[in-house]
Amino acid sequence: MRLNQNHDLPGTLIVVEGIDGSGKSTQLAILRDWLQNIGQDVIFTEWNSSKLISQTTKRAKKKNMLSPRTFSLLHAVDFADRLEQVIVPALKAGFIVLSDRYAFTAFARDVARGVQPEWVRNTYGFAIKPDLSMYFSVPVEVSLERICSNRQPKFYESGMDLNLNPDPYESYKIFQNRVIEEYDKMVDEYNLIKIDATNTVHEQQVIFRDIVRKKLEEKGCSI
Amino acid sequence: MTNNYTKKHEYPGLLIVIEGTDGSGKSTQINKLKDWLAVESYGAMVSEWKTSALISGAIDQAKEKNLLNANTFSLLYASDFTDRLEKNIIPALKAGLIVLMDRYTYTAYARDVVRGVKPGWVRNLYNFAPTPDIVFYLDMPVKALMKRIIATTGLDYYESGRDIGLSTDFYKSFKIYQARILEEYSKMAHEFNFITIDGNLTINTIHNQIKERVKELINSGAIK
Repeated sequence: MRLNQNHDLPGTLIVVEGIDGSGKSTQLAILRDWLQNIGQDVIFTEWNSSKLISQTTKRAKKKNMLSPRTFSLLHAVDFADRLEQVIVPALKAGFIVLSDRYAFTAFARDVARGVQPEWVRNTYGFAIKPDLSMYFSVPVEVSLERICSNRQPKFYESGMDLNLNPDPYESYKIFQNRVIEEYDKMVDEYNLIKIDATNTVHEQQVIFRDIVRKKLEEKGCSI
Repeated sequence: MTNNYTKKHEYPGLLIVIEGTDGSGKSTQINKLKDWLAVESYGAMVSEWKTSALISGAIDQAKEKNLLNANTFSLLYASDFTDRLEKNIIPALKAGLIVLMDRYTYTAYARDVVRGVKPGWVRNLYNFAPTPDIVFYLDMPVKALMKRIIATTGLDYYESGRDIGLSTDFYKSFKIYQARILEEYSKMAHEFNFITIDGNLTINTIHNQIKERVKELINSGAIK
């Protein structure tokens, strides 16, 4: 599977992973600004954002129409479309591609929903192996506090489709703890670099930047 | 990887599949079979390829714009299949109905592989699908197919495999594409124990052949 082999494209693929409210998007945004400021060619892509399917998926989520497997497949469609339309062409053209969530999000969430780990890994087998995969690790309580300061957790993000607990907050904790468990398993399997996301934004960014700088140097790109 | 293809499903109903390329006469045969089953007092339900409430509209839109790559194409159809499987097909099988499938996973195995995805990948993608009780394959030579399609629906972009750049000549592209699809089907005939029927026979002759096989199946106590 392509996901397990180093790519030989001129660009660099950097992905951030973590549960909702881990601060990964903030970290990626700061990194992006920095890379652009120092004159790097950067492309950004995020989970469930393809023109092809993201609206269909959002509608289906609102109507609670999705089973664990169709949930998984629709996100795979979105990913496949962005991979071929955005990520691969940009890597071929030598861009630094910043991806907010990647196949590992599916491996964590879908397995937490009861989908077989081998099946979802096969489904995403065509994905390009990232040069760097950062995992922003945060306890579920912190995540809940950050995302639900002004709203209830949503149906699927709290795993309400699994009937874990009638209370969305309780359900969120149970479900996202399962997601965290899956992420932790992937640290070794896919060399995710774990960053303690309870540290300050600045502290995390300093570590993140340092790792990115080293990776780019390693790839022969001095910055 | 777990694979369901080695064992039959355990639902009380019957899962009957008709496969074949476009224009091979599948839908005609499904309808005749359904009518006959109704006469014989069996409850039957038909499920066709790309008809899910969830996603069939999005597939049509995407196809109109001709912007699908092989993996995306494959995954879209798998989403459609899964939605129908979970919401219609399995509930019907559980209720003891006879489910008549106009195309099944084999259609994906043929089309997606011709588009360049790996045979193992797409088989794993569908490995949760129940194994049918019987699969009829309507085998038609390319030449006869071409005539049927041109006389009815005309050549369509994807049916002609234009998306894989076989030829800019529609006719030529269609011919190459359908020949490759037929090649995949004939490989599968053995792999999945298809009952191959000559699609050039008359509608009634084919119907009678299918009917006999289904009768045997029902008489063997396959409906629980």
